[in-house]
Amino acid sequence: MTKKEAPVDEHAWASFEAEALPHADQLFRVAMWFERNRQEAEDLVQDTMTQALQSFHRFQRGTNCRAWLMTILQHIRSNRRRSRFRSPVIDDPNDRIAETIPFVPPLPERLTDEDILGALARIPPHLQEVIVMCDVEEFSYKEIARTLAIPIGTVMSRLHRGRALLRQQLRTPADRRQKEI
Amino acid sequence: MQCREVRDLFDSYLAQELLTETNHEILRHLSGCPTCRADLAERRALREALQRAFARARDLEPRSEFSAELGAKLRDIAQVAPRRGLFGHWLALAATVVFGVGLAGTLWWTSRLLHDRDLAAAAVGDHRNCALHFALAEKPISLAEAAERYDAAYRVLEELPPAEILTSSGAARVLERHSCVYAGRRFAHVVLRYHEKVVSLLVTSAGGGISTNVPLDAALHGESSVDRIDDMSVLSFRSAQHTIFLTGDVNRAELSSLAEVLAGPLTRRLSSNQTQRSTLGLATASPSLTAVMPGDSRSGIDWTLPGLFWRKRQGSLGATCPEPAPPRPQPIATLEGYRKRIHGV
Repeated sequence: MTKKEAPVDEHAWASFEAEALPHADQLFRVAMWFERNRQEAEDLVQDTMTQALQSFHRFQRGTNCRAWLMTILQHIRSNRRRSRFRSPVIDDPNDRIAETIPFVPPLPERLTDEDILGALARIPPHLQEVIVMCDVEEFSYKEIARTLAIPIGTVMSRLHRGRALLRQQLRTPADRRQKEI
Repeated sequence: MQCREVRDLFDSYLAQELLTETNHEILRHLSGCPTCRADLAERRALREALQRAFARARDLEPRSEFSAELGAKLRDIAQVAPRRGLFGHWLALAATVVFGVGLAGTLWWTSRLLHDRDLAAAAVGDHRNCALHFALAEKPISLAEAAERYDAAYRVLEELPPAEILTSSGAARVLERHSCVYAGRRFAHVVLRYHEKVVSLLVTSAGGGISTNVPLDAALHGESSVDRIDDMSVLSFRSAQHTIFLTGDVNRAELSSLAEVLAGPLTRRLSSNQTQRSTLGLATASPSLTAVMPGDSRSGIDWTLPGLFWRKRQGSLGATCPEPAPPRPQPIATLEGYRKRIHGV
């Protein structure tokens, strides 16, 4: 963010301020969930909003602005990840094994917020991504596919597997998890 | 459908991604299968619990100053001049006087005209997007919630217009009331069935303190005719702080009949709502009517400018509108429910 960007006209700024800026807090929550570091999450949201401001003329009015912002955020995240690792990120080889997840007994009656977020944090990050976007952000499959740059079929299989693993985590008592670790 | 097939579809069912026919098959199966019903209820509960946990997690909350700091940084990047202070306004006023009241007036009216058109286009977009295509970027919320969070005046639409409306050209029936967003603008939205068509009544903050009893004529000379927007008739009228639109695929005369009945009560109630948030309104409460449609020689309507706008003074307007009645549709939880209520399928 060191370089000075091209000026944005006042009308464009007003539209951006009304449509995009109100989503900053929600973007931060998602960024914070994945980055687990407040400073990095703030940087990520700031870079996302900066790019969004410069490209706001490309935003299609009447479509989901939050999903559009999330696409930018994911794009920046994925670029950062690439720059940190020497080898390319390998696509999930287990996308097609959803059906191999065994049946598990019903969920315990009482679950706290900590139980739920703890279980979510224990499943693989690429499955967390689709669950957060579908169940928390309520994006459509199409929006998730565009945001994560993956086919819709992959969104569906990841969602299926992610939810099954999440339920499995919630049904596994903490003491048994401890032994497994 | 067997249990296994149904359960394989539950994820997509919860995400409202299935075809209507598939939804029906699932619902049919669920009606006779308590085990699948329990499974679905559990999945739905988990989804809701996840949303709640995410929203309440303290360690995911941004710092209280984060939004303000981000806004300031972005404003700096955008290189937009900060808003003028009081002194700046005085200078602007002086400049306006120097350049002449006539020129300033012309500019003001031109900008107002553009503002009107933008608003009308947004209203038509919302009608198409929400009432006709159900392509909602954000879920609609109840009028009560919208009144609580955005504009207390939206509460007026909970009971006005009443469920059945009698006009000189036929009856209209309210199908749905909610608040939704199109192109970043929030509307209170009442969906009506009128002449076998879906018609929308949309109310939004006027946003610029628009005066209601000012002559539009001068500003409109030389403008090209705007008869319909995106194949929809549009008609608007104003209260002190709100613009009210009627839009749908009906003809001008039918829309005008509906406006005649609704304009008086609506503008009066919206204007008299003391708790609304906006502080920009400059106008008196008496309504004027504006239609972005070509001229019409229907009796009782004064098309002051053939080809663009018509206005009518307060008086006979709304005389036939009955008092608001309490019955109102229940909130709709799903897109399917919404579609069914509006189109009956």
